Amino acid sequence: MNWLSSAALAFVAALVPIASQAGEVLDRVLSKGVLVCSTDPEYPPQSSLNANNEFEGFDIDVATEIAKRLGVRIEFVTPGWDVITAGNWSGRWDISVGSMTPTKERAKVLDFPAIYYYTPASLAVHEANTTIRAPEDASGKVIGVGVATTYEAYLKGALEIDAVGAPPFSYRIRDAEIRTYDTDSLALDDLRLGDGLRLDAVITALPTITAAIRNGYPVKIVGDPLFLEPLSVAIDKGDPEFGARIAEIVAAMHADGTLSALSEKWYGVDLTK
Amino acid sequence: MTAPDARQAAPWAAGFLAALVVLLPFDFSALTGDAWSSRILIAAVLVANVWVVGRLPFRIQIVIAWIELAALFALFFWSFNLSYAYIWSRLPYLVGTELNRGFLIGAALTLFICFVAIAVSTIIALIAALARLSGNGIAVGIATFYISFFRGTPLLLQILLIYLGLPQLGVVLTPVPSAIIALSLCYGAYMAEIFRAGIQAIPAGQTEAARALGLKPGQIMRLVILPQAIRLIIPPTGNQFIAMLKDSSLVSVLGAWDLMYMARTHGKAEFKYVEMLIAAAVIYWILSMAFEAVQARIERHYGKGVAAR
Repeated sequence: MNWLSSAALAFVAALVPIASQAGEVLDRVLSKGVLVCSTDPEYPPQSSLNANNEFEGFDIDVATEIAKRLGVRIEFVTPGWDVITAGNWSGRWDISVGSMTPTKERAKVLDFPAIYYYTPASLAVHEANTTIRAPEDASGKVIGVGVATTYEAYLKGALEIDAVGAPPFSYRIRDAEIRTYDTDSLALDDLRLGDGLRLDAVITALPTITAAIRNGYPVKIVGDPLFLEPLSVAIDKGDPEFGARIAEIVAAMHADGTLSALSEKWYGVDLTK
Repeated sequence: MTAPDARQAAPWAAGFLAALVVLLPFDFSALTGDAWSSRILIAAVLVANVWVVGRLPFRIQIVIAWIELAALFALFFWSFNLSYAYIWSRLPYLVGTELNRGFLIGAALTLFICFVAIAVSTIIALIAALARLSGNGIAVGIATFYISFFRGTPLLLQILLIYLGLPQLGVVLTPVPSAIIALSLCYGAYMAEIFRAGIQAIPAGQTEAARALGLKPGQIMRLVILPQAIRLIIPPTGNQFIAMLKDSSLVSVLGAWDLMYMARTHGKAEFKYVEMLIAAAVIYWILSMAFEAVQARIERHYGKGVAAR
């Protein structure tokens, strides 16, 4: 039966195309005329689907502007957030403009060419709560966070932001009982059920909390932000030229006020400084 | 006279008490203003309802039970105070009456994924079942290995393996083909066992008689065994397809814009998560009922010869 197994091997080998050469992202984008950007439209006001089933949000506008300055069309794909942060994109998409924090862990599998704004990470509790008056009071409480987020790393005391000029922070909440959720807004959905019913508090981006409050969620913000997250554009490892080009474009968008204007439009404040 | 009366009343009293116990965790005080009188009222209505409906003909009982449960269901969701205007405005994207960049979305995409996966998995299952029943050791080995692996690992894991693992071999698939391959392979494995059981259930005398008539093995399978086995295979296969319809929601983790993905995403847009989930549940349910109806028709068709006897 030896001929059979070798024939089978030859058949399988014929089916598998040769792996594409890595590091040619910029060439691919420019030659196809399309910048494929991954986005997770479950995070208003960064990215969501509007009443016409179209993408909208701060990240969407920034990505569209980057593509415009590259001289190409923008196209969005929507893989899960953990698939995006895992790296090894295999050329499925070229860039992530997804408010990603450049942590040391993520920097092992992704490159972070340009920080485009900073978002405050805040603690939220149910309206009816009277015991948690400062972030320190949440120590030992049940706190909900999105899975694989910086908020989860913060609660575990394992947050290492890998960016030049990231503001320093301290761990103010100790020994929390961590509950992780697929996305941050699910944690807010559990918090809204009642004070301490499933969760005592939630940590997420300040804009997410204010958007929830605007939509009638009975939650409130506790104290000052826990830390300021620098949020970066991410690309797959292996194409420094592409990274340099993106860094150049984002720097120009910082300088000419484009980013500030977009931040004012979606957050009501300038979070890009 | 009192003894038989007491004996007849006992089960009703027990039912009344059981209803009260079930109602304990809930708070219906809005009904009469007091928690206990509300519970007693509801329990009494329940018992009286069962007593009245129990007196009606069989078929009417079924219909009334459905109507009452559906009404309870509606009441339950009504109490959530949902935004129906929001559900209505986003419904086209859940159902999939619109396209996204020329491709199906919502329930239309869910159905597309299922139909393709049903066709492919049926072929895979037939081949795997025949391989398992063949006398070739290699074929049996491959078939049992395949069935064992795909029945022995979670579908979600298979979907992720195909989506994230195949690129390591240079094959980069988009979410929808990945989903179809994973569903086909997984359900092919389950159905291979159903097919095998159906084929083995046909008495050996059929094969012997066919052989005595001079039919070749391939002809015996195609003309004698399979037509009889199909009648046995259809009910469990229909079950599998209904399960697949709902399991296809797992592909939303890859970002395929199926019904579940659209419900989740549009739910997040304006924090109307429960609205979208309930709408998606109703759509899945309606689709399942349609699948059931199709299954019943096919069953009737292939059961003709048996029913006539």
